[in-house]
Amino acid sequence: MTKLSLAFFLSLAAIAALPAAAHAAPGGVALHGDVKVETTTIVNGVEKTVLAVPKIVIPGNRLLFSTAYRNEGAAPVQNFVVTNPVPAGIAVAALDAASLIVSVDGGKSWGKLAGMTVRDAKNVPHPAQATDVTHVRWTVASIAPGAGGSVAYHAVVR
Amino acid sequence: MKSAQIRLTAASLLLSASFGASAAHAAGVVAGTQIANTATATYDSGAASVSIQSNTVTVRVDELLNVAVSSLSANPTAAGAGTTVLTYQITNTGNGSEAFDLAALTTVSGNGFDPSLQSVAYDTNGNGTYDPGTDVILATGAPTPALAPDTSLTVFVLTTLPSGATDGQTGQVRLTATAKTGSGSPGTVFAGQGAGGGDAVVGASTALDSALATEIARLAAVNLTKSATILDPFGTQQPVPGAVITYSLLATVSGAGTATNLNVADVIPTGTTYQPGTLTLDGATLSDAADADSGQASSAGVAVGLGTLAGGTSKTVAFKVKIN
Repeated sequence: MTKLSLAFFLSLAAIAALPAAAHAAPGGVALHGDVKVETTTIVNGVEKTVLAVPKIVIPGNRLLFSTAYRNEGAAPVQNFVVTNPVPAGIAVAALDAASLIVSVDGGKSWGKLAGMTVRDAKNVPHPAQATDVTHVRWTVASIAPGAGGSVAYHAVVR
Repeated sequence: MKSAQIRLTAASLLLSASFGASAAHAAGVVAGTQIANTATATYDSGAASVSIQSNTVTVRVDELLNVAVSSLSANPTAAGAGTTVLTYQITNTGNGSEAFDLAALTTVSGNGFDPSLQSVAYDTNGNGTYDPGTDVILATGAPTPALAPDTSLTVFVLTTLPSGATDGQTGQVRLTATAKTGSGSPGTVFAGQGAGGGDAVVGASTALDSALATEIARLAAVNLTKSATILDPFGTQQPVPGAVITYSLLATVSGAGTATNLNVADVIPTGTTYQPGTLTLDGATLSDAADADSGQASSAGVAVGLGTLAGGTSKTVAFKVKIN
């Protein structure tokens, strides 16, 4: 599933050239964020997922936040790390929270969600849940000049 | 310069912490909340370490219209003489501030009587009990005040028994609350009408809910039976001058209700004279004077206050007169 969606975004990024308004350091890497509402319907017993421009967003909706990147410079870049603070009002979807590198302490420490703990108001530790994720992070070892891709996470409106 | 930067960071941390707290609603993120997502990236380019930021994408949370109604009344609620108060709770289970239209239906089929609707009021002091003069009576067709998400309002429906109701019969009132913005099948959109500036969308509750409360007539019937026994001066039961008549007034209360402020009075028959000191209640003597005890008697008549009597109880008032 994760592999599939990753492939989808890579191909999406390859087809669609980044908009001119993308944030970029001159000659460096450009980042472009986007958000879509994801709805899943079952047609003839087959799940069909549709991404749409958000028009109406209500609690419980699934959102897909994506960040496309592209090396617009002439030289390759290394140790490319995309960090995305999770905004208030949403929670990272369970599957993504379990598979991505996340932080549950505001970006101080990073790792897999499994094994992380959070402390409640009474300072009692609990296993961290997807709803505790404060940041998600992706790492790309290197990007060749002209190459790009996209990273994304699913979230649920609280 | 450096210290200014640090202060800024501290302020933004505080801000995000307070946002996090306000987002914790059972009904979901409050309508109008802006969810803004920005990614940052760092990378090495040659010897330089670069940090960049993406554009910010923002979505506004729209209003979800939901409501829940429940009855808080005793089931059934006893309805006697006077006003019967039925109590309901309206909860805004949506995520935006919303007022609700209320409708009280008294003609619920399958019941012995249809309660007579007096008015619909809401609790203003939060004690859950109808306080006349304190709690606000809603004008016909007027909605409730706007309720914040996840908050409840206690609503009172005031009814009286219709004249035809008999003891033990039941009647019901269905209170329906409908979101002021609108209702309908889930997913119905009211464009631009949402709290917080967005659209309003009907949720799973259809933005309409209702609850039934049942009342049962608890009425009391009072039956008064008068009997007399005669004892003449010759030891027989002839109504001749000088004979003493003992009158007994038996007050019997039947039904499931209570008779309040019950008074028994009788006049002394013409041609007879009340025998002082003979007034009794259930065999206990009552003084003739109008004083602390519940009875009084004179040459004109007797009167005894029985107070409040529950159904199934009875009291006997007795007094003696002599035939002139």
